[in-house]
Amino acid sequence: MYKNLYSERLVDSQTGVASYFKLEDLADYISSSDFIALAEQSGYQKKVPGVHNHFVDNLMYLREVGIPNNKHEQFNFSNLNKLKQLDILAKQSQYDPVEALERFEWVAHQEQSIVINDSVILTSMDLGSKKPFGVQILDNIKFNKQKQDEYIKIIEPTEDFRNLTYALTPFTNVIIFPTGSKERYYNKPLNIYYENSTQDPILEANTTIVDVQYNTKVKINETVKAQAGQMNYVTYIVREDAELVIDRNTVDCGGWGIFDSRFVCHPGSKVTINFNNEGSKYSQENFYFKCSSHVDINVKGRNNILAGNEYHQYVLVKSQNDNNKSVIDIKNVGREKANTSFIGKFDVSPYSIGFNGEMNNNNLMLTKDTKMHTRPILDIHTKEIECSHGCTISNINNEHMYYLQSRGFDKDSAKDILVESFLC
Amino acid sequence: MLKLTNYSVSPVLENLNIEFDVGRTYIIMGSNGIGKSTLLHSIMGRPDLEVSGDVELNGENINEFEVDERAKAGMFIGFQSPTSIPGLSNFQFLKQALNTKGTEIRETLEKFKGLSQSLGLPEGWDKRNLNTDASGGEKKKNELIQMQMLNTSLAMLDEPDSGLDVDGIKALSKQLNEWRTADNTLIVVTHYEKLIESLNPDAIIVLKKDHVVGGGKELAQKIFAEGFDSV
Repeated sequence: MYKNLYSERLVDSQTGVASYFKLEDLADYISSSDFIALAEQSGYQKKVPGVHNHFVDNLMYLREVGIPNNKHEQFNFSNLNKLKQLDILAKQSQYDPVEALERFEWVAHQEQSIVINDSVILTSMDLGSKKPFGVQILDNIKFNKQKQDEYIKIIEPTEDFRNLTYALTPFTNVIIFPTGSKERYYNKPLNIYYENSTQDPILEANTTIVDVQYNTKVKINETVKAQAGQMNYVTYIVREDAELVIDRNTVDCGGWGIFDSRFVCHPGSKVTINFNNEGSKYSQENFYFKCSSHVDINVKGRNNILAGNEYHQYVLVKSQNDNNKSVIDIKNVGREKANTSFIGKFDVSPYSIGFNGEMNNNNLMLTKDTKMHTRPILDIHTKEIECSHGCTISNINNEHMYYLQSRGFDKDSAKDILVESFLC
Repeated sequence: MLKLTNYSVSPVLENLNIEFDVGRTYIIMGSNGIGKSTLLHSIMGRPDLEVSGDVELNGENINEFEVDERAKAGMFIGFQSPTSIPGLSNFQFLKQALNTKGTEIRETLEKFKGLSQSLGLPEGWDKRNLNTDASGGEKKKNELIQMQMLNTSLAMLDEPDSGLDVDGIKALSKQLNEWRTADNTLIVVTHYEKLIESLNPDAIIVLKKDHVVGGGKELAQKIFAEGFDSV
């Protein structure tokens, strides 16, 4: 993150605890007039005026809206106070691209793999060889200025964390699966790793666009490891008759993370997401779907939130046109002192005739000091739809425990089996 | 084998003294609500039951044993309404209960399949979720498989016949008779005359609130003819 902030002014402005700041300080700084002026002078953005203007507009919007608070619908239950208290190391050693390359050198020897670290994309060697109809990577503005200009417009101003993530990442990377790749990346999925470069409490951010082009079938295995602070904002464009399957595994590596996934679904497209998350010091995972017509959305989450961890989630399915279908099925297990929340929303427009939506969120609390929230929201503006929801929070069933113990399982093993079967 | 001394389970059973010998078969009878199921579950150590008195298993006082410790000591309870656990397959459950690993897994699976076939359970029963989407009879048969595979030496079955069809009852009797050896003790709560006949029990125990009435098969016949008040 720091390498993208153009200036050490933020660090200079700190007094007292000179080497740390909080998220609010950071947001204030990068949306300040001073920073905007710095950004406007920056050579990076000026190379592509469209990208530059869009970025500066976003900074100004960020100044207007600030960072989210609990009054925002999607953060009603999020423990934002905890997030705001996290220390972010302001100054790290000078960013050295060679050092970063060495740190993620392992990816070069993998197959069809990408590491995304603080807006830098590193790929395995087979992806670098530019095979016909292979995946194309627009690494910030270096390669195709015209396309960058075209893509960047898809990033819209919002009132959530996406603004801040984008503001921290003037480089937006684009990954394109061309139509000619057909099912190549379905039969052999692309692996994407979101990792920090250090365990020092820094904040690294990524804004990425994934474009699955017309009539293409793609599977992506995502591994998210936040060793420090990590903010990701990925816009997936799923074009006409394309299919995207994402298997996302988020591991608690001692850091914290916000992952915003936005899906722009064109007519006839299909998106399936299977994900699991262990939570972390603070973890927010949001999915925003914008569905045109005849779109099929499947979201399946199985989250085993470890002791003391935070995990907050918002899923919004915005159905804009006819015959969209969506199944949301999310199960969370909260261990000792875990804090989790789920807010799911179907926003069905008056033109969205034939919408079929099913929303299920089941939560299992393992101890009395676990906090779990769930809120389904059905915002329907048309009559001809089918919509249902089932959201529950329960404790371990004593009957189940007794049954398992009567077959020789001790309490801990019985609990583990019940968690496993719940998440199945 | 199993000895209950001054045994009470609040609020239904008071001051019972019963001794079950090894290698014997016992039928427990009693009017509705008298506490037959409660007795079996209390012996198994169900934590929400308030118990006083002593339970001895093979000469050892097991009052302080947890449920799983009693199970590991060879005790088994067959539930009247077996618990459903979606997401856990019948075989996976047994495999984990037996802690089966490596090459033993195939052997265990074959034994499981053999038993389920002999009980008339459908093909693929091993992969079905534990007692989920199963009929009452199928659940009871599943309990029998567990009983036989879990190294049981003291089986307490709570109305194992309920929900079983005619063929199911025959298969149940056959399995129980095959399972009975000089080392295995069987306690069955039932009011089903044919099952009692086919098991040919060593004793009938009729449960009353604060005492028990014991006897041979003729005791059961008397109850069937004249009711519980006659004994």
